[in-house]
Amino acid sequence: MATILVVEDEKPISDLITMNLKLVGHQFFKAYDGEQMQQILEQEKIDLILLDVMLPVMDGFEWMRRHRHPGVPVIFITAKDSLADRITGFELGADDYIIKPFEILELLARINVVLRRNVKEEEGFTAGDVDVRLAARQIYKSGQLVELTAREFELLEVLIQNRNIALSREKLLELAWGYEFEGDTRTVDVHIRQLRKKLGWEERIKTVYKLGYRLEAER
Amino acid sequence: MRFWQKTLLLMLVLFVVVLDVSVIMIMNKSWRLNMGREQQRAASDQALIANNIYENLNSIKSRGMQINDTILLDVARSYGEYYRERGISLELSSQDTPVYAGPAEPSARYISVTNELPAPYGYLQLTYRRDIEALYAGQDELNRYFVYINCISIPVLAALMYVLIRKLTKPLQSLADSTKNIAEGNYGKRVQLQNRDEFGELARHFNRMADAVEKQVTDLSAMAEEKQRMVDNLAHELRTPLTSLQGFAQYLNAAHIDEEERMTASGYLWSETLRLKNLVFKLLDLSILSHQPVERSRIPVVELFESVRRMEQANLDAAGIELILEADISAVWGDRELLESFLVNCLENSIHASNPGSEIRLAAYEQDAAAVLEVTDYGRGMSAGHLERVFEPFYRVDHARSREHGGAGLGLALCRQIAEAHQAQLSLSSEEQKGTTIKLILQLHNNGLLT
Repeated sequence: MATILVVEDEKPISDLITMNLKLVGHQFFKAYDGEQMQQILEQEKIDLILLDVMLPVMDGFEWMRRHRHPGVPVIFITAKDSLADRITGFELGADDYIIKPFEILELLARINVVLRRNVKEEEGFTAGDVDVRLAARQIYKSGQLVELTAREFELLEVLIQNRNIALSREKLLELAWGYEFEGDTRTVDVHIRQLRKKLGWEERIKTVYKLGYRLEAER
Repeated sequence: MRFWQKTLLLMLVLFVVVLDVSVIMIMNKSWRLNMGREQQRAASDQALIANNIYENLNSIKSRGMQINDTILLDVARSYGEYYRERGISLELSSQDTPVYAGPAEPSARYISVTNELPAPYGYLQLTYRRDIEALYAGQDELNRYFVYINCISIPVLAALMYVLIRKLTKPLQSLADSTKNIAEGNYGKRVQLQNRDEFGELARHFNRMADAVEKQVTDLSAMAEEKQRMVDNLAHELRTPLTSLQGFAQYLNAAHIDEEERMTASGYLWSETLRLKNLVFKLLDLSILSHQPVERSRIPVVELFESVRRMEQANLDAAGIELILEADISAVWGDRELLESFLVNCLENSIHASNPGSEIRLAAYEQDAAAVLEVTDYGRGMSAGHLERVFEPFYRVDHARSREHGGAGLGLALCRQIAEAHQAQLSLSSEEQKGTTIKLILQLHNNGLLT
């Protein structure tokens, strides 16, 4: 989907982020300090940078100060949660600011928002004989256009963006249709059943015991 | 009322009162002296005139003439006329019956002396009256002059005293200004006063006080800053493992993953939990140390060193470092566990800083009547900038490397606490690429019980 550069000196956090990025189908590069980051930026085409603030030698804020317009969207990931730090982050031109400890789903959601804002090319997702074009809102199964309602499409989009991660019915409800949506978790079950039927995804959309649903895809 | 105003007023009043009272007393004395002189003069004049009249009467008598009232009147008149021109009036009376009375003067102030003539004219009395209006006039003139002088001298005095007092109290004003400035929070300011008098002394004392206050304030704010840094750092130290724990737990729980990924994630859960545990226990140690008094006992140095070596043998072997023990004194006084913990912490730092194949020295010796425990390595060392802050909790010289070893960044903070608990001095010296030496200097009264 996108190529993301993770700049984080804490190995566990770096691995945590990249393992989750891998789950949902993003490409990634890891950098543990500003120097490595600079090298990768020069050699690779990067769609988004996840930048830790507390880095050895040169911190994330300092790097942003020196590269005002890197041409790549930046999300700060930091334990610094003071208002002043957040303001500094946004003033330096960050697209978002995520505070540790963060939830993986939240991180992925914010990454998607920033990517949608910045990446122009069409996003696609292919699994088996199903081809989903997210931007065009079109789904083809074996070359045949499949008709989906708006609700069904929104749910499908959330499943694709968080593929390989189990999402609870409540989470799906919230992510797909928003907080204001009036409906209970049974609505989710109904729409999942529809998607499975229309796309032939009985196996692909797994029911995870005690949790919810998960779209399983090749990684 | 300002001090200078009070001083000026009091001095002026005092000065004027003392001066005027003295002058009035002197004038009074001189008046009495003048009066006395006049009286004497009147008495002698009267005696002279009485004598002259007596001589005249005698000569008249020797010419065989009878002394009667007419003759007496003639004689008295001739004297009366003569003396009247000199402002003196005479009066002659015979046994309280006036024989002759000089013309009455309009003035009321005179000196009068009455005496009998010498015998045989004892029945005659001569009264001598002299006008002393001029004396009074002179006195009045003097009084007026006194008031006049007062009117001039008091303002002049006041002006001179004002200038003088203002000059003398000037340091007081500058002292007040400076102290106000300092009191308002400009603790760096000092009183600029070079006088050698009490004001100068006051200024010096005040400056010393300001020094002490400034030092206290700086110390306090440095302490507050260190505390703030520690809290910030603690937040960071907690957030990082918490993020990992939360994230990997969720990952294991919800993600569609293979066995290898499951192992990685659970491995991180394990190591990050240990890291948190390590952090919490170190923090607990720190907290306990600052609240509990240490119990000192005599610890044989060789035992202490051997037990430290046993604890660290595995780390030493893994890093390929040789540990050299040098015990010059037989025992030290302290808390065995704390001193062990101190040495282990220092030793671990040294191991992490050393290159394989190098050595670390653990020494105990006596210096300047104090027991010294010393750990020396020949590793990477650190710059002077790090030296200042290395005892702060969570301060790391090399972040990445410290984490790799699972350090919480609390080792040297703990060492500092241990030293403080023993009332011992801690000294750290280091040179980059040469090595580091840390010394725990246990005070004399600890090892004083040794011998």
